[in-house]
Amino acid sequence: MSGSIVFDGVWKKFRRGEHHDSLRDLLPSLAARAFRRRPPELSDKEFWAVRDVSFEVRPGEALGIIGHNGAGKSTVLKLLTRILRPTRGRCAVRGRVGALIEVAAGFHPDLTGRENIYLQGAIVGMKRAEITSKFDQIVDFAGVGAFIDTPVKRFSSGMNARLGFAIAANLDPDVLIIDEVLSVGDAAFQARCMKRMRELIARGVPLVFVSHNLPAVLELCTNALLLGHGTELFRGNPADIVQQYRRAIWVPPDEAAAETDIRIGDVQMLDAAGAPTELFRTGSRVTIRIGYESARAVERPTFAVDIHNAGGIYCAGFSTGIDGRLFDVPAGRGSVDLTIDAMQLLPGSYSASVGIYRPAGAAYDVRKFAYPFTLTSDRCDLGLISLDHGWRHHIESRPGHQTTVKEVVLS
Amino acid sequence: MVSNLLMATEQMSDTPSALTTPGWPGSQLAADVREIVVEQVAYRELLFRLTYRDLLLRYKQTVMGFGWAIFMPLVNTIIFSVVFMRVAPIDTGGVPYPLYAYSGLLVWNFFAASLRFAVSSLTSNPNLITKIYFPREILPISAVLVTFVDSIIGSVVLAGLMAYYHVGVSPALLLLLPLVVAVLMAFTCAIALALAMANLFYRDVKYLFEILVTFWMFATSVLYPIDLVGGRLGPLLRLNPMVPIIDAFRAVVIRGEAPDAGRLAGAAAISAVALVTAWVAFHRAEFRFAENI
Repeated sequence: MSGSIVFDGVWKKFRRGEHHDSLRDLLPSLAARAFRRRPPELSDKEFWAVRDVSFEVRPGEALGIIGHNGAGKSTVLKLLTRILRPTRGRCAVRGRVGALIEVAAGFHPDLTGRENIYLQGAIVGMKRAEITSKFDQIVDFAGVGAFIDTPVKRFSSGMNARLGFAIAANLDPDVLIIDEVLSVGDAAFQARCMKRMRELIARGVPLVFVSHNLPAVLELCTNALLLGHGTELFRGNPADIVQQYRRAIWVPPDEAAAETDIRIGDVQMLDAAGAPTELFRTGSRVTIRIGYESARAVERPTFAVDIHNAGGIYCAGFSTGIDGRLFDVPAGRGSVDLTIDAMQLLPGSYSASVGIYRPAGAAYDVRKFAYPFTLTSDRCDLGLISLDHGWRHHIESRPGHQTTVKEVVLS
Repeated sequence: MVSNLLMATEQMSDTPSALTTPGWPGSQLAADVREIVVEQVAYRELLFRLTYRDLLLRYKQTVMGFGWAIFMPLVNTIIFSVVFMRVAPIDTGGVPYPLYAYSGLLVWNFFAASLRFAVSSLTSNPNLITKIYFPREILPISAVLVTFVDSIIGSVVLAGLMAYYHVGVSPALLLLLPLVVAVLMAFTCAIALALAMANLFYRDVKYLFEILVTFWMFATSVLYPIDLVGGRLGPLLRLNPMVPIIDAFRAVVIRGEAPDAGRLAGAAAISAVALVTAWVAFHRAEFRFAENI
C-alpha cells in the first residue's frame, strides 16, 4: 500500500509570549472563561502560524515547500507528523510516516550507537526484528562502523546526525516528510541521501520536502509551494516557484548603504528578439541589460556578471575589465548590454549576479544572485554545459598491404 | 508487521470526523479506547525500549546500580522497626514487625517511586515531545515499568526476611499474587498518567505531589494497620485503594490467608475506572502537549 497526504484548509493558531504553566494561573483563567461568554477567535496574544493552506500529495509526487524563516514551514511539518493538530481544517496522512526531522532527537548520550539505533528505531515505529534485519544497512549507511559500541556522547555531531538519518532513511515508509536534513554530512553522504530519497519517490512514496536548499528542491520535487506568513503565495512547478522565492527574498540594499558614485538600476534579461524574459532555451542568444545611475562621471568602471547554477556552482563570469572593454561613464542614467551569443548552459535554474567595480577592484554596487533565470531544452545533454561537438568514425581496412582509411561523419 | 501503523491518522478539530463518530452515544469513548489500543500495539517495542533504556542507564551511571532498589526500603525498615518495636509497639496480627514494614514499604515504594518518576516523565523529555510523534503515554508507563523491575529486585530481600523469620508461603495463594499485582499496576498507571499530564500543563503539580504522597503513605497500611485509626477518619481512609492492595499483598505473601475479596474487588473496580478515565483524558489532551510543554 502506498500512502497519501491531504492538507485541507488548515489553520493553526499559536500563542505569543510566556505560557501560563503554574497552578496559580489556573484559577484566574478559569474565572475569565466562566465570565466571558465567547472568547474572540484570535486574542491579541495569539497569531495564525498557518492560514488556510491546502495541498495534496499523491503516490509518486514530491512536494517542495519553501519560504523565508517564519513562513510556517516547520508548523506545516509538525502538523503532518501529528505533533500538532490543526486549529481548523483537516490534515490526513495515510500510511506509515517516515519523518526525516530531528533524526537524532531520541538519542541518549550515555547509550552506545547500537543501543541508540534500537531506541530511535522504536521511536520512529520500527519493530525489533525489523531493526535487527536492517542493522548492518543502517551502520553502513551512517559510516560509523568502528564506533557502534561507543556511547554517542563521544560521537562528533556529524556522526550523530548521520546515524539518526540512517535510521530514519532505512525505515520503509509509506509517506516521507523531510526537513532541512540534507545539510548533514559531507558531499558523499548527501549524495547517498539524495539517492535514497529518489529511490523512495520512484517506489511511489509521496514526499514532502521542506528546505532552503533550492537545488535539492529542484532535483527531487515534482511540484512546489511557496509559503509566506503562513499562507500560500504561489504553487507550481519547482523551477517557477524557486524563481518566485528568489525574487521574494531579494532585499534591495538600503539607500544609505548605496551612497556611491554609480549604482545598478534596472537589470533586464532579453531573448534573441529583444523581449524581456527569464526563460531561455539552451543555445539561444541572451542579453543582460544592466541599467545604471551615476551621481557623477565615473572613470573606467568595470561591469561584471556572474552566473551560478542552482547548486551554487560558478558557471561563467564576464567582466568588461577582463575583456579590456573599459569606458568612462558620464553622470546620469544609461545601460550596458552583455550579449551571450549562445547560452550553452544546460537546462536548469540559474541566477545572475551583477556588479560595478572600481578599477582597483573595490565595489561600487553589487547585486548577488539577484537575477534568476531558467533554461530549457528539448535535448537531454549531460553535465553542466553543452559544448559544440561532432562525431567521426574512422574505418581502417587492409586489403593486401595498403591501408585505406574511410571517414564517416556522423550527423 | 507494518499494518499496525497503516491506520489512517485523521486529525480533525471542532467538527468530529466521520471516522470516529458512528453516531451513537458513547461512541467517542469507544473510538478513543480503540485508538489507544491500536497505538499501544503498534508501539509496544518503544515501551520496551524506553524501559530498557532507563534500566540500562541506571546500571551504567550509578555505582550501586540496582542496589539502590534494595537499600532504600531496607534503611526505612530498620528505622521504623526501631520506632514501632521499641518506642511504640503495635499489633501487626502476629507478623514480625520488620517483615510487616518491609512488605508494606516494598509495595508503597513501588507506588510512590513510580509516580515520582512519572510526574516529570513528559517534562524531562521536551525533545521527544516537540519533535517526534509517538503515543506519549508510553513515557509515564515506562516509568512505572522501570520501578516495577526495581521492586522485583527489592522482593529478594523480602524472601530473605521471610526465610529468617521462618515464614512459609502457600503456593496456592501465591497464584493470587498476579491478580493483586495487576490491580496495583492499574491503579499506579492511572495516577501516573494523570500526574504526568497535570504536571505538563501546571509545573507545580510536582511539588504538590510530594506533599500529597507523604500524607498518603500515613493514610495507608504501610507501617501500621490502618484499622488502628479509629473514629470518623477510619472509614474514610478505607476508601483509599492502596489499603486493600497492600493488605491483599501481605495476606497472600506473608500471612498465607485469602485476601478480603470484597475490598480487593472494590479496589480493582476503582483502579479500572481510574485507569480508563485517566488514559482517555491523557489521549485527548495529548495533541496539546507539544504546544504547552
